[in-house]
Amino acid sequence: MKDYQVVIVGGGATGVGILRDLSMRGISALLLEQGDLAHGTSSRFHGLLHSGGRYAVKDPQSAAECIDENLILKKIAPHCISDTGGWFVQTKDDSPGYVEEWIKSCAGAHIPIREVSISEACRKEPLMDKNVLRVFEVPDATVDGFRIVWANARSARHYNGEFRTYHQAERLVTDKGQVTGVAVRNLLNGHQFTVHCDIVVNAAGAWASQLAGSIGIPLDVICDKGTLLAFNQRLFHRVVNRLRPSGDGDIFVPHETITILGTTSQFVDSPEDNDPQQEEVRSLLEIGEQLLPGIMKNRIIRAFSGIRPLHREDHDVPGVKEEGRNVSRSFALIDHELQDGIKGLISIVGGKFTTYRLMAEKVSDRVAEKLGNTTPCHTAEEDLLPEIPEHVYKKAARLLPYAPVEKMLERLQEDAEDVLKEIEQTPHKGQMLCECEMVSMAEVEKAASDEDTHHLADIRRKTRLGMGTCQGAFCTYRALPLLWQKKEKYDSLDEELRNFLNQRWKGIRPVLWGQQLRETELTRAIYSGILQFTEN
Amino acid sequence: MIYEQDRTENLDACIKCSACTAMCPVAAVNPLFPGPKVLGPDAERFRLEGLQIGAALLNYCSKCRTCEITCPSGVKITEMITRAQENAKLSGSGKNLQSNIRDYLFGRAEYLGKLATILPGLTNTLLRTPLFRQVLEQALGISSEAPLPTYRKKFNPFGEGHKNRKQVVYFPGCFVTYNDPPTGHAITKVLEHNGYEVIVPPFHCCSTPLEGNGYVREAKETAKKNLALMNPYIRAGVPLITGCTSCGTALKEYAGLDVSASELQAYDLFEFLWALHEQSEFRTDFKEVQVSLGYHSSCHLKAQGIGTPSVRLLRLIPGVRVTDLDQGCCGLSGSYGFKKEKYDTAMQIGNPVFERVRHGVANDEFQSVITECGGCQVQIRHGSGTETFHPVWVLMQAYGLE
Repeated sequence: MKDYQVVIVGGGATGVGILRDLSMRGISALLLEQGDLAHGTSSRFHGLLHSGGRYAVKDPQSAAECIDENLILKKIAPHCISDTGGWFVQTKDDSPGYVEEWIKSCAGAHIPIREVSISEACRKEPLMDKNVLRVFEVPDATVDGFRIVWANARSARHYNGEFRTYHQAERLVTDKGQVTGVAVRNLLNGHQFTVHCDIVVNAAGAWASQLAGSIGIPLDVICDKGTLLAFNQRLFHRVVNRLRPSGDGDIFVPHETITILGTTSQFVDSPEDNDPQQEEVRSLLEIGEQLLPGIMKNRIIRAFSGIRPLHREDHDVPGVKEEGRNVSRSFALIDHELQDGIKGLISIVGGKFTTYRLMAEKVSDRVAEKLGNTTPCHTAEEDLLPEIPEHVYKKAARLLPYAPVEKMLERLQEDAEDVLKEIEQTPHKGQMLCECEMVSMAEVEKAASDEDTHHLADIRRKTRLGMGTCQGAFCTYRALPLLWQKKEKYDSLDEELRNFLNQRWKGIRPVLWGQQLRETELTRAIYSGILQFTEN
Repeated sequence: MIYEQDRTENLDACIKCSACTAMCPVAAVNPLFPGPKVLGPDAERFRLEGLQIGAALLNYCSKCRTCEITCPSGVKITEMITRAQENAKLSGSGKNLQSNIRDYLFGRAEYLGKLATILPGLTNTLLRTPLFRQVLEQALGISSEAPLPTYRKKFNPFGEGHKNRKQVVYFPGCFVTYNDPPTGHAITKVLEHNGYEVIVPPFHCCSTPLEGNGYVREAKETAKKNLALMNPYIRAGVPLITGCTSCGTALKEYAGLDVSASELQAYDLFEFLWALHEQSEFRTDFKEVQVSLGYHSSCHLKAQGIGTPSVRLLRLIPGVRVTDLDQGCCGLSGSYGFKKEKYDTAMQIGNPVFERVRHGVANDEFQSVITECGGCQVQIRHGSGTETFHPVWVLMQAYGLE
């Protein structure tokens, strides 16, 4: 008795991309995610939508995939992408030889570049170092990880795809050398059950080897921790890359209201090992200084780390060459029937956010083939989200004249009309509960009552609550009464408060100086002083 | 570069405490006005993303600067809002033609003054004609109820000058020049009485009205013209004095344009006189003046961060009793309260001041009100029906110069 044709494990960009793709082909699928969607690597990166420029020299195939996917995503998901453009900048420390090689490689990968004069560059990015040597424009953009993951999930749901968050895939279930399902634990209530299916797709990212390991299949995923810094405001208008072989701290990404500087690289033992360290912060700042002089004067609101799940180079993986698949070295699709003789299990590892859709397409092609489904992939053509109707936009602008309503509507999608109606009926709910990121009380209330929301951090990922300048100083306590209204869904309020503040604190601690130190003192006064919230 | 770095650090300094909004006089009376924190530092992060937020609401900021003096982090909130207003104007969003024309005119108090004082009698008659005021309201959005000031024959600073070793440059400002020349003469006489030669170059508007109406670049140009006129005196170390608190705020901020803060010696009149007093160089040959006064401190005096030197000084005069009203902003804020859609807000803001004045007068606490700011004088007269004038007139009486 099978429940679904396919079970996907992992609710990151790749997982939800696969869920959408399969659902669009009419294949019944369930996605299991142990936390909230996009809680892992898909929200812990710099938010860059690669033009491919960074891979042009080292990995031309990845570069070509990036530029193709870049153009596709800009077309199908304009609401999740800010088309900022990007620059590659050569400083006096960067080799001219590499620049020439890079120009040739970009041409080879069909990445359009344009040289920008230094005077134009200095005018357009006044904070950038004036002593740079050459500047090239590329079609880099920025992408909101949370939003694109949710957009995929919503689109999949529209095609009858299902997903369960806070459901952990504890182990694979096999029968006579074939994977027949997944043993699942609902982490919210502890219930355990088994889901039966024809094929399990392991898209668990940094957790992928644990899942394969549950039936003794070796899957070599290296946890590569990358730490990034979030500055309080947009310091650059566009993505600014160093024009040199990729390394730590050589990219600034203007993401939403902040600027992200990344990224370090360090192998760690576990996917949970994602505490940013002071040492990493220092090294990022040292390198960042070369593009942004006086970098220490700029306020950093937090540091955060994500785990890149890296796979061994795929020519090591049996089956790949024989199949002659069009999978680049950057990600690997592993059919365990070919590799380990276990039917009904496919793993997808490695890769990058920019190519999540392509990875999903490759996996879905393989799954469809196995299931005898011949419907072709449409994810590159069909818009991820419907257009926001003009009248909704106008109503929002009228009700919230000072808010960035476009962003709000893009976050809310089909819930937008409900939220606007609520604000119309109860105008005080139009007040900004999170003032830094301008999230209204009505929007937080909606997110808090959403069936997929189980913690304050889930509201944060859906709305950006607590992600701005004050890092939750004011919005955390303001959100509590809204959780209280739905208290049966949440942990005790002091537990929610403690967890949320501790998550914020984890990122603030390594950058605790200057204005952020003042902010933290104010936060401490509110929670330890006024609210007498002193433990931990 | 220097500007960009300053701008960045200025925004970074905000710790979101909301003290500015708590003290904002406009937010206190207008629930639709989200306040300086939202329109300033909060929206600024989104403006850097290219989003235009609240272009129409920005104009509800009265530029009183209460937010800036309140901010514990020294964030230049009003400046941020003014710049956003200018950018919104340049990008053509959030304004209609009528208010564009009106704000253009109000920004140019100097030219309005020049025009109005060609035939001040005719101007005043027109401005007192209800039909004409209806036309102004309909055509330009200037409230027909607003207390537009009376124009007089233009201030002529010459003809009084005694040559003296000690010199000051006097900056009369548009209000004295076009609406209240007698106060300009009074200020000159008081300074001369204290042994100063008073020099009055043909100054332009201080630029506050331009900034208030969202013309930042023009404001800077005007400021530079004034600086050019002041330059020889600045070099010679001659102090610059003004009796208008809005001009004073602007002049003090000229520092950093073409002149350094240490070179520019700009003073409010009473700040200067009090400094003389502290050096025992201020003449206190006062006659007794039996008068009780209510004192209103203008927002732009507070913005200068110099306390209330006029109150301290007038209390040196035998017989003078001064009560500090301490009721916040009068609401007018330059031309803000003259605008049709803002008149009511301005009157509500000023209401605590008006109430306090009426109460004080009714209880014989004082007979009239003094305040340095010409705009506040007009508004308090309008709102409370009580005589209101510049504090220099009390000194004139005490010195027997009237």
